[in-house]
Amino acid sequence: MDTVIESLQQFWHFTGFANVTWQNLIMIAIGIGFIAIAIIKGWEPLLLVPIGFGMIIGNIPMFPGLNIGIYEDGSVLNTLYQGVKQGWYPPLIFLGIGAMTDFSALISQPRLLLIGAAAQMGIFGAYLLALVLGFDPNQAGAIGIIGGADGPTAIFLSSKLAPDLMGAIAVSAYSYMALVPVIQRPIMLLFTTKKERLIRMPKPRVVSQKEKIFFPVIGFLLTAFIVPSGLPLLGMLFFGNLLKESGVTRRLAEVARGPIVDTVTTLIGLTVGASTQADKFLTGNSVKIFILGLLSFVIATASGVLFVKLWNLFLKPGHKINPLIGNAGVSAVPDSARVSEIVGREFDPDNHLLMHAMGPNVAGVIGSAVAAGILLGFLG
Amino acid sequence: MKYKNILTIAAGLLFCCATLSAQNLSDMRVTEIVADNETGLVDDFGVRSGWIELFNNSYGTVSYGGCYLTNDRSDLKKYRIPSNDKSTTLKPRQSVLFFAGGSGEKGTYYTNFIVEKGQTVYMVSNDGRTIIDSLKIPEDLQPDKSVKKVPVGIKETDFEIENDSEPSPGSYNGDVNAKSKSQLMKEKDPHGWVLTLISVITVFIALILLAFVFTAIGNRSIRERKTKEKKASKKYSENMSPEVAAAISIALSQEFGGEAFAAIALALDDYLGGGVHDAESYVITIKPTPGSQWNEKTQNFRQLPRK
Repeated sequence: MDTVIESLQQFWHFTGFANVTWQNLIMIAIGIGFIAIAIIKGWEPLLLVPIGFGMIIGNIPMFPGLNIGIYEDGSVLNTLYQGVKQGWYPPLIFLGIGAMTDFSALISQPRLLLIGAAAQMGIFGAYLLALVLGFDPNQAGAIGIIGGADGPTAIFLSSKLAPDLMGAIAVSAYSYMALVPVIQRPIMLLFTTKKERLIRMPKPRVVSQKEKIFFPVIGFLLTAFIVPSGLPLLGMLFFGNLLKESGVTRRLAEVARGPIVDTVTTLIGLTVGASTQADKFLTGNSVKIFILGLLSFVIATASGVLFVKLWNLFLKPGHKINPLIGNAGVSAVPDSARVSEIVGREFDPDNHLLMHAMGPNVAGVIGSAVAAGILLGFLG
Repeated sequence: MKYKNILTIAAGLLFCCATLSAQNLSDMRVTEIVADNETGLVDDFGVRSGWIELFNNSYGTVSYGGCYLTNDRSDLKKYRIPSNDKSTTLKPRQSVLFFAGGSGEKGTYYTNFIVEKGQTVYMVSNDGRTIIDSLKIPEDLQPDKSVKKVPVGIKETDFEIENDSEPSPGSYNGDVNAKSKSQLMKEKDPHGWVLTLISVITVFIALILLAFVFTAIGNRSIRERKTKEKKASKKYSENMSPEVAAAISIALSQEFGGEAFAAIALALDDYLGGGVHDAESYVITIKPTPGSQWNEKTQNFRQLPRK
């Protein structure tokens, strides 16, 4: 009888109920919240569902030493987590993004690239604020990249500059990306007048296949020579796009934008979520990171819109740009471009801004990869 | 012509491989030598002798088995490092020691020659001819002192020679307490304004360059298109007068209506896979398909059964 009771007691110590802490329960609740938001609201479900479930997995209280935890060498989760830790999932996602992105909107109006550059102010604004809050420069750089509104880039850079903050940075980046429509709209309305919102832009010209093929090759050479440290992201992005546009590698492009990107997105979401174990995640720094992340999105959106307004001062009538596409300079593709379209049509139902907003939107992807490369070069 | 292309590619690949291999070994450096070891390092046999330190100056693993060490310019193959010893690989930025007591029979890491003041020690590639690196031992080197190469520069891949140094066998010759880039940045730019300014300018320069290049390419493309359009319209106007074209168009629209045009356009777009004809938006291009296409998926399409 004693043996049975002893065994039951031992079993009890192995269970989650014996090891649970209130922090674990909070994280599990947040994970369930993420899943609920994704399903009910439909916000970034492809990311929030894996991250949310990963949070639940990572916060199941367990007896250490069973070699099953994400931070225990050789466990299944730890092996899958290496893609995040070593930074090879994000470039694979960039390969898929390149293979699914049509850069025509940008190629037809190359001047819109500058909006993508202006919106990167969110990254550097958050960097400056993070330094004020007492973070080290490498940590500040990793936090700042949230303003790029690009999850894979945020994971890539934080894995190199501040691996200890990666969980909070990744969750913050993806959360705010899901909230792009909520965050950006009021800022866009705040900084634009009714007259500006009604500006109609000329229809973009048709882009030839030759130009589409030139773009990834020349784009890669130019950006990678300036910022070689951005090579993994830029290389994969432009390579993926070349697969799409070359016209002779259709099968490879389909694999890159289909099975590869789906597999990696699933794994990156799950493992990033699982890495947010309560003891590592629920800290004062995480709260600061969430605040800075929000501010970085605000700064990025405001910078894009204000830059367009400033630029318009120098443009002739008929060539002016609707400042409602300024928000799309952050690289949350295509959500922020969709916000431009929706807000634009609120004021003029026949004014379609989507095709114009896609230009700065994809420029934002390139801009944030370049910015990540610069930060890595200086602080890595 | 085909064989010529294959040969060219093969030659190119061979050249690349040869260069890569050479590049790995060429990153090896002779970084430190002690000639007169009176009170210093003792080898595994309890003997004090001079020693030579080799350093992998790259960020990749280098296999140096099969290379040679020598203190004689006229005999570059004096001591061959065994190639079948699996330990003769060096991880990035790591170093390895060779005891130079003239007793090569003791093992891989014991040379068959003795290093003395005034000599130059060479590391020679596995071809026995190419000198990878060398280090001269000064005549006046003090006992128990070393001549060493100290990494300098931002990348720490260049070296300057330091005489009469305290020996540091197997250790990194640079500053092991060097500050990280982040720490240096914290000292130089505590508020982050300099980094921000440089970064913003760089992002703008990169994207402005891209915009500039693609504006030029776009303008050229527009010019080419206009020329093509001109030629095409000239060609068609020779075959068919505008009156005839208008008459056919009216006849078609009266016969079939606008829906027929829409259906034809959709069918063509579908056949071309969508977006294929955007290279020449004014001409619909039908590409010839090679072979019989018997195994194409489209050849096996069946109408879905009606419920």
